[in-house]
Amino acid sequence: MPVPENVEATVRALVDAAGLPVSDEEFQSFVAMYPALREAADGLYIEEVRYEEPALIFTPVAPVKE
Amino acid sequence: MTMPETIQEAAAALRAGEVTSAALTETALERIGALNSQVGAFIAVNEEGAVAQAAQADADFAAGIDRGPLQGIPFALKDILATKDQPTTANSLVLDRGWGAGYDAVVSERVRAVGAVLMGKLVLSEFALGPPDEEKPFPIPKNPWALDRTPGGSSSGTGIAVSTGMILGGLGTDTGGSVRFPAAYCGHTGLKVSYGRVPKWGCVPLGYSLDSIGPMARSAYDCAAILNVIAGPDSRDPAGSLEPAEDYLAGIEGGVAGLKVGVPTEYFFDHEKLDPEEKAATEAVIATLADLGAEVVEVNLPHSDLAKEANTLTMVSEAFAYHRMDMSGGRWNDYGSRTRLIIARGAFYTAADYVQAQRFRSWYVKQAAKLMASVDVLVTPTIVEPAALSADTDMSKRLLQPSYTGPFNLLGYPGLAIPAGFSSDLGLPLSAQIVGAPFSEALLLRIGHAYQQQTDWHLRYPAGVMEVAAV
Repeated sequence: MPVPENVEATVRALVDAAGLPVSDEEFQSFVAMYPALREAADGLYIEEVRYEEPALIFTPVAPVKE
Repeated sequence: MTMPETIQEAAAALRAGEVTSAALTETALERIGALNSQVGAFIAVNEEGAVAQAAQADADFAAGIDRGPLQGIPFALKDILATKDQPTTANSLVLDRGWGAGYDAVVSERVRAVGAVLMGKLVLSEFALGPPDEEKPFPIPKNPWALDRTPGGSSSGTGIAVSTGMILGGLGTDTGGSVRFPAAYCGHTGLKVSYGRVPKWGCVPLGYSLDSIGPMARSAYDCAAILNVIAGPDSRDPAGSLEPAEDYLAGIEGGVAGLKVGVPTEYFFDHEKLDPEEKAATEAVIATLADLGAEVVEVNLPHSDLAKEANTLTMVSEAFAYHRMDMSGGRWNDYGSRTRLIIARGAFYTAADYVQAQRFRSWYVKQAAKLMASVDVLVTPTIVEPAALSADTDMSKRLLQPSYTGPFNLLGYPGLAIPAGFSSDLGLPLSAQIVGAPFSEALLLRIGHAYQQQTDWHLRYPAGVMEVAAV
């Protein structure tokens, strides 16, 4: 997933989807940060991991009684 | 009276009748009174409770009841751990004030049961992540070695309180380095335990699949004494390991002769941002271990730069899931101004990114397991540089910097941070990290103890701030 050309529009959509009441200054800080965050996440899609199962644990039996 | 330097020393003095828990507690309270307003270690001090617990400890000693090395010892808990006699805040206005009311976290219950004197609740980064915010009604933690510097987080109060002898031991939590950073920046020892080693029930979560609770104290020996109390399964923690706990003091005098120490040069020693003195101090630790009979070999843990990113992605995503309802539900401004920006990063990752981070995690675990089949431990720097100026401490920036701790949270491996010297210019603490395979805490503590028999970095006090406070 390459860094989108219109970072502001992407960040606005994600902030709105999450319902975050950010200030203009906070919004601009997200816009400034987003390309690096996207690049870091994209960097995890490496060939070595191509056939790995995720390190997630699920059990159909409730482990703890409420 | 003079506060003993370590739990080990205090425990011996208590049993020899040279000191009482009441006297230790009084001294600790005096130190807290003299220093806390300057260094911001405690959110709340439980003076009345501590005095009563100390009296009980002394009464137990007199009656021949001995619950082990923590009995009668001034101790404290990061304010993210539930305590039945004090509220829990997570250093935030947001945490429901009813959370944790009237009951103890598993670890609180365990240290209380062995007679530790609980002095109060310690400052932390908001929800174990957010930097201090002067606009919020919580103490601002300061590094006792240089008050304009960060003490590290997120277990900042525990680091400060141990460093200044307000307490002789305490508990922190570690999701990306939060036990090891303050131990490193404040100049004492801290153990990030294997994932699942210590039950987390009763601890406010940060990153569910990464969080751990660990001991912080002056020495590896003291950390072992604390781990003896808090390790082991509890049915209330579904993420807890059933791996039996050990006696972490039993083999602590075993030395390092014949052990194979791996030095992962790539990323951990050759990064351009690594401070030369921090690097040299870590290399000096390795040299000392070699002098003591360890074999040193160069190794490689591939893609550790990506492991740091996967840890961050996992932590922030899990944290955002926990916080989203509050953030979008009217509490946005109740969070610290920087806390909310860091946690909200979780809104920018996709679900596939999170799963991919867990796929990377599976692969990285295999690489680490292969590596650990050829060595007993790894030794790395704990930190990239000594404590930065608090004014320059930008968490967002840090999340983009290398981390020598986060990869081991991703692995779930234990890591022991030990003092390794001081910077030449400002006299700030330096630290090395000893990392081992899952549930190898006893080995790490044994190595740390062997090193600390040769050096006294871990016993140094921040004399300046303590002399000013006349303690």
